[in-house]
Amino acid sequence: MTAEILDQVSLRSVVTGIPQDALSGLRRHALDSFAKHGFPSTREEDWHYTSLGIAAEISNDWLQGSAGEDVPEHAASAPTDTGIDADWIVVTDGGIDRQALSLLNERLSDGVSILPLSALSSLPDLYIDDSIASFNAALLRDGILVRVAPGVSIERPIGFAILDQAHSSPAVSQVRIVIETGQGAAASFVYVDRSGGGPKRFSTSVVELLLGPDSAIDFLRLQERAESHVHTSQFRASLDAGAVLQHGAIDVGGRLVRNDVHVKLAGPRARASLCGAYFADGQQHVDNHLFADHLVGPAESRQDYRGIAAGRARCIFNGKAVVRPHAGGTDAVQSNHNLLLSENAEIDTKPELEIYADDVKCAHGATVGQLDEKSVFYLRSRGLGRDEAILLLTRAFAANVLGTLPIPAARQYVDRLVERKLDSMIGGSGA
Amino acid sequence: MTDETMKKLLEIDNLVAGIGDTRILNGLSLTVGSGEVHAIMGPNGSGKSTLAQIIAGHDAYTVTSGTVTFCGRNLLDLAPEERAREGIFLGFQYPVEIPGVNNAYLLKAALNARLKHEGKKEIDAFEFMKLAREKMSLLDMDPGFLNRGVNEGFSGGEKKRNEILQMAMLEPRLAILDETDSGLDIDALKAVAKGVNSLRHPDRSIVLVTHYQRLLDYIEPDHVHVLSKGRIVRSGDKSLATELEEKGYDWIREAASA
Repeated sequence: MTAEILDQVSLRSVVTGIPQDALSGLRRHALDSFAKHGFPSTREEDWHYTSLGIAAEISNDWLQGSAGEDVPEHAASAPTDTGIDADWIVVTDGGIDRQALSLLNERLSDGVSILPLSALSSLPDLYIDDSIASFNAALLRDGILVRVAPGVSIERPIGFAILDQAHSSPAVSQVRIVIETGQGAAASFVYVDRSGGGPKRFSTSVVELLLGPDSAIDFLRLQERAESHVHTSQFRASLDAGAVLQHGAIDVGGRLVRNDVHVKLAGPRARASLCGAYFADGQQHVDNHLFADHLVGPAESRQDYRGIAAGRARCIFNGKAVVRPHAGGTDAVQSNHNLLLSENAEIDTKPELEIYADDVKCAHGATVGQLDEKSVFYLRSRGLGRDEAILLLTRAFAANVLGTLPIPAARQYVDRLVERKLDSMIGGSGA
Repeated sequence: MTDETMKKLLEIDNLVAGIGDTRILNGLSLTVGSGEVHAIMGPNGSGKSTLAQIIAGHDAYTVTSGTVTFCGRNLLDLAPEERAREGIFLGFQYPVEIPGVNNAYLLKAALNARLKHEGKKEIDAFEFMKLAREKMSLLDMDPGFLNRGVNEGFSGGEKKRNEILQMAMLEPRLAILDETDSGLDIDALKAVAKGVNSLRHPDRSIVLVTHYQRLLDYIEPDHVHVLSKGRIVRSGDKSLATELEEKGYDWIREAASA
């Protein structure tokens, strides 16, 4: 029995034990789908560097109800400390406060609806076709559907505060969000992902976006989970003609983190920009997989991620762009630059391009390097301490991508989040 | 400080140093008194830049023997940042471009590191801007440089001016200017020289490391030394520089090996 194997019998009994509700049918389908996949093994190319063994272990313990130990309350704090001006929706341990949601719904302008999946008479088509997505749906307590009607623009960002506060360990929780924009609609979202509580937690998150023609979505994900927790996220977007997606992501937390960003450019003139930065130290393992699927052209995709690893951290970047036969006129650029702050840190980067069409413009570049000692000496010769010099240069390296993230309202908080992380990476034993 | 130590701001005695197994300095001795301007000249590879880097504390170089004393203290014990805070400034031959680090930020951080070390109050943003603008106008620099990345996309002349700006802001006790004249056209050279001359002060010593005599037409040194094969082989007043310009370095090499 390899480490990635999840106890399917216990999973089935837990899922069938969930009281009947609007999601029951989805859970059963998802369970059947998961039975075909199981957890991915490191023999699969996409999971070569990341083993979910520890996630399976936590899940098995949780499913079997064996080790439900109480832990001192250590709550993930509410998003008010971010100072981000947004309409917040709080998801606690995968549960949604339906009353708060309906209050928010009343406050929002016409043409915007935010509903719990459990309140829908018929569910939208939810993605359950792979291991993580089917596991997520099988154990889903509830989810959220955001619809923005054609032509409607939401000025203020909508915030998702994912607060996992398990008071017992192990714990497992799921988040599922679906966002649909009508023709010409525009909205922005900030997703703050936090966890507190016991040492053993595995969580999954699936966010699905359907961008109607000429609609625009800005989405910023800030992952700051406790450094013992295991997390996988999927971000799946499909862009119709002329739609514009700006996706930004920051990862500072988690023990083992896997993010998949999957963007389908399904209509001509669609544009997707995927920017992000990951920061890892200690024993952290952060794996980012990006996939831009160009179905038709002309369309444009940008992938620009930067990574910084210290201590014994390991980071993986896999950025892929596929240009299908009907996607002539595609313009795809991938860029991934990484900085190693310690000899024991490791970064594996792999940009991939598959081109099956003519008349395309594609470029990719990836680097893994260390700080330039000449620059460090230059700054020290001006009176700055070694740590201060390293911090300054590292911050400058990260700033390059931080400046391109969507949601200006979150900028100050992002800077604080990154600063705090860099301080602990460089000031502490991290570097 | 006694008059004697005041006089000897920097004292290098029989310094032997190099990189790895390669010896570059072979028993170099040099004394720089307070308020003096020294020029160190010599052919390529004679060890001029190595000397400058060792005084600033670059850890690529290993000192095998000899001493370097600054204000009566053993300089070799100090980290580069400690030397800077004590008042040593190195003007780099090739100033490093640091994109993303704001020029004003570095200047302010450098100045505050020095002030803090001296137990003085840190400079506030307003005072800093006033001081920076004042020094920049002295060097004919556009205040827009403050908001750019450190040396990012600067021309050769702009980089050297930026070095002198840092020096003007930090008011060091000892400034070593490593080939500050290289790659400068005549206007830039004059501007840099004007900046350096404005910083001449009885409490500040300046060591000019240069290959050519040209710079010394604009900054007049009190002492000129000729470095060859890692040692000072000739010392004199400014007329030595003129002699070098006329005769080249060959006669020095001959004299040194004789």
